[in-house]
Amino acid sequence: MLKQVEGSRAVAEVVAACRPEVICAYPISPQTHIVEGLSQLVKNGDLLGCEFINVESEFSAMSVAIGASATGARTYTATASQGLLYMVEAVYNASGLGLPIVMTIANRAIGGPINIWNDHSDSMSQRDSGWIQLYAESNQEAVDLHVQAFRIAEEMSLPVMVCMDGFILTHAFEEIDIPTQDEVGAYLPTFRPRQVLDPGDPVSIGAMVGPEAFMEVKYMAHARMIESADHIARAAIDFKEAFGRDSGGLVRSYKIERAQTVVIALGSILGTLKDLIDQMQDEGISIGVVGITSFRPFPVNELRDALKNCKRVIVLEKAFQTGIGGIVTEDVDRSLRGLGVERSTLIAGLGGRPISTQSLRSYLVKAIDSGVEELTFLDLEIDTVESELARERNSR
Amino acid sequence: MERPFAITLGVGSSLANHTGSWRVEHPEYVHRMPPCNAACPAGENIQNWLYIAEDGSYEPAWQELIKENPFPAIMGRVCYHPCENVCNRGELDEAVGINSIERFLGDYAIEHGWRIPGPTSESGFKVLVVGAGPAGLSAAYHLRRSGHAVVIKDATHAPGGMMRYGIPKYRLPREILDAEIDRIAGMGVQFQLNTRVEDVHDEMDSFDAVFLAIGAQLSKRAYIPAGESAKILDAISVLSDVENGTPPSLGRRVVIYGGGNTAMDVARTAKRLGADEAIIVYRRTRDKAPANDVEVTEALEEGILIKWLSTVSNMDGEKLTVEKMELDERGFPQPTGEFEDLEADSLILALGQEVDFSLLGNSADLDVTNGTIAVDRAMMTSHPGIFAGGDMVFADRTVTTSIGHGKKAARNIDAWLRGSDFKSSEEKVPVTIDELNTWYYTDAPHVISEKLEAARRVQDFSEIVKGLDESTALYEARRCMSCGNCFECDNCFGVCPDNAIKRLGPGLGYEIDLDYCKGCGICVSECPASALQMFPDA
Repeated sequence: MLKQVEGSRAVAEVVAACRPEVICAYPISPQTHIVEGLSQLVKNGDLLGCEFINVESEFSAMSVAIGASATGARTYTATASQGLLYMVEAVYNASGLGLPIVMTIANRAIGGPINIWNDHSDSMSQRDSGWIQLYAESNQEAVDLHVQAFRIAEEMSLPVMVCMDGFILTHAFEEIDIPTQDEVGAYLPTFRPRQVLDPGDPVSIGAMVGPEAFMEVKYMAHARMIESADHIARAAIDFKEAFGRDSGGLVRSYKIERAQTVVIALGSILGTLKDLIDQMQDEGISIGVVGITSFRPFPVNELRDALKNCKRVIVLEKAFQTGIGGIVTEDVDRSLRGLGVERSTLIAGLGGRPISTQSLRSYLVKAIDSGVEELTFLDLEIDTVESELARERNSR
Repeated sequence: MERPFAITLGVGSSLANHTGSWRVEHPEYVHRMPPCNAACPAGENIQNWLYIAEDGSYEPAWQELIKENPFPAIMGRVCYHPCENVCNRGELDEAVGINSIERFLGDYAIEHGWRIPGPTSESGFKVLVVGAGPAGLSAAYHLRRSGHAVVIKDATHAPGGMMRYGIPKYRLPREILDAEIDRIAGMGVQFQLNTRVEDVHDEMDSFDAVFLAIGAQLSKRAYIPAGESAKILDAISVLSDVENGTPPSLGRRVVIYGGGNTAMDVARTAKRLGADEAIIVYRRTRDKAPANDVEVTEALEEGILIKWLSTVSNMDGEKLTVEKMELDERGFPQPTGEFEDLEADSLILALGQEVDFSLLGNSADLDVTNGTIAVDRAMMTSHPGIFAGGDMVFADRTVTTSIGHGKKAARNIDAWLRGSDFKSSEEKVPVTIDELNTWYYTDAPHVISEKLEAARRVQDFSEIVKGLDESTALYEARRCMSCGNCFECDNCFGVCPDNAIKRLGPGLGYEIDLDYCKGCGICVSECPASALQMFPDA
């Protein structure tokens, strides 16, 4: 159903349409409107059969979600930034125990210094947590990914993070087609848990695993994640069939046929990039875009296939690793190995810094015309940082 | 359901791990000596009857109590309860009111008419008990329980000894005394009253054993120069006359000489007989006086005056001269030469009592030294088959001690008659407060028994101290910390990391599953009552 609605509200409504049985979350900007919306739906009786459990922290939120999911309940939570960091220990347990929890990350920078605006530092910090990570390009895709996420999670018995840019998406009002409960019901099968906690047939879930089996358990987690790529791709195909929209999947290419330069990015910046690429192509510049929807599992083969004919790749990232550079970059490099494709990385939008088409355009033009350094920070006040660094060095 | 590899386990698997194989020592439930039991002159298993009473099982609690002492209602009134003085709870808040619970159980038994059946089989032995005081009655009771035919002979017309002729009614109402003695008669013990045994040797042909318990009836005398008109009486005669319904005329001003319980009793009796003034004269200080502190306090409350550090020098008519004393370095009173005159219509001597040994006859086969008859550890005199106890032998002269003597003698007489040795339980060291985990017990202060106001007390011989009602008695019983004995608090059951402790059901305690007990000792260190101990594995 088409609605002019805030992104967060749309996510709340589509999660409700997925009929979760337990929702347990702790509010944190910019995720708050999502769980507020859900709590209101539960309170109003619009979400029957669902327990909304209030807790005192994100650590408890994930712990409750683990317990609920272990009993076989379809379970949802959401968080962002520091909240995600606070729940980390339990985040790893959820994936280690194979519990198909769906969690929305309203992407936000991590302090300190404290910053409430958008970048990808929070979810990128959980790169190795064993969760599937899907990034939404738009509010429409965010809504659609939640429907797919429950299906993928429950098919694979793996938890899924749906990452959507804080404020840029969560707080934007736009026209969104929100699947109804009936439509979702036709796409999303009834949850059949891999195992349940049942007093009638007691088991110990989360038992200690010693050196004799730990590596096997971890290998299986890896293998399961690799296998999940097919399910992610399948979920998108089936979704298109059911809803008529392209949403989700592993990677999505835009105008890359015969493009010499391809920009790779995740999340809402893809929209800006597509507009820019349209302009630049009109000007005769050979450039295209590849969006990565599934960051974990990383679609090495799909990306390699998409990029095998281009000359130059630019990875645009909203997070980075201090001391080395891009995070997604490493995975892209691995995907390009042996292809002889040039790669450079652009870090942009940290802590909510606007990414203007003008700045992007001048960077891309320079990259194509005269080349850029391996690592560039977009719109960095270089004079300021250099003088400050010099002052620090002098006082050291 | 198929389970995920390694991370989910079936519940049965941990039982395969017999942690008991790691053990080098193991816990055992022990029965240690609670301080109350250790201090009880009658050897009552106080902790156990309190424990049984805690859930309102009064009859089983009373049955447990009377295994050792047939007189709970009397005890609840006249025992000086040394148990409470050593109660570990006293270190925490206040001692458990054992005495008042004992009284409650005793009164409850009388109220409900509980009887004690006679023995199921007769031994064929016949035992004579001389004296129907606490020692004699206690011995008769225990001997009868063991199946022996028992005859009690007593020179007075009613049984009870000093419980009747020495302890005033306001402390021990006679219907209580009669009810508990009557229960012993009901077991088939024969009472021959108004029957004085002139010579014990004459009885030996008719009986297989004899227990002597005639008490100490003779008042000690002191030489007091006195004019002819002076009225001087002895305390035992006064108390006895009051009991017999022929109270002596004591006058308005009465002086009592002595500092023991009898002095207090007779002074308080004098007040009740109408004396305006009752003054006790005692040669030493309050802390040296043999009287029990409760009795001194109650006497003072009733307006009895006590002149400490004083002796009576002479009495002439209504003038009594008293000399002040002072304590020397060794704590003995010495005359000061300072005198004081008191007005007194009568002087009552309460200077202690002596044993009348005339029933021993002229034979030298019974060893008497320092005014008491010598007995061995089995309470037997130097004459085989003649046992003795109570005030006749060297010991504390209290009702409870005498009851303890009666029990001990009865058990030894029983063994002697059957040709065996009676082995008393091993001496055990009482549990101390340091061995308890007191923080597990809820704070609960002691319930105070209601008392008559002092002004009302001295008007007649009504009982002063009221009993507890059922709710307060239960509360008081539950204050017991069960020192050294399990009270099924479930602490061990809860703390055992191996679930190795099994509940056996109410009253049955626990069992330790040695397949899984790894000997960590947490149950021992967390037992509130110190009722668990570690022992090395064999």
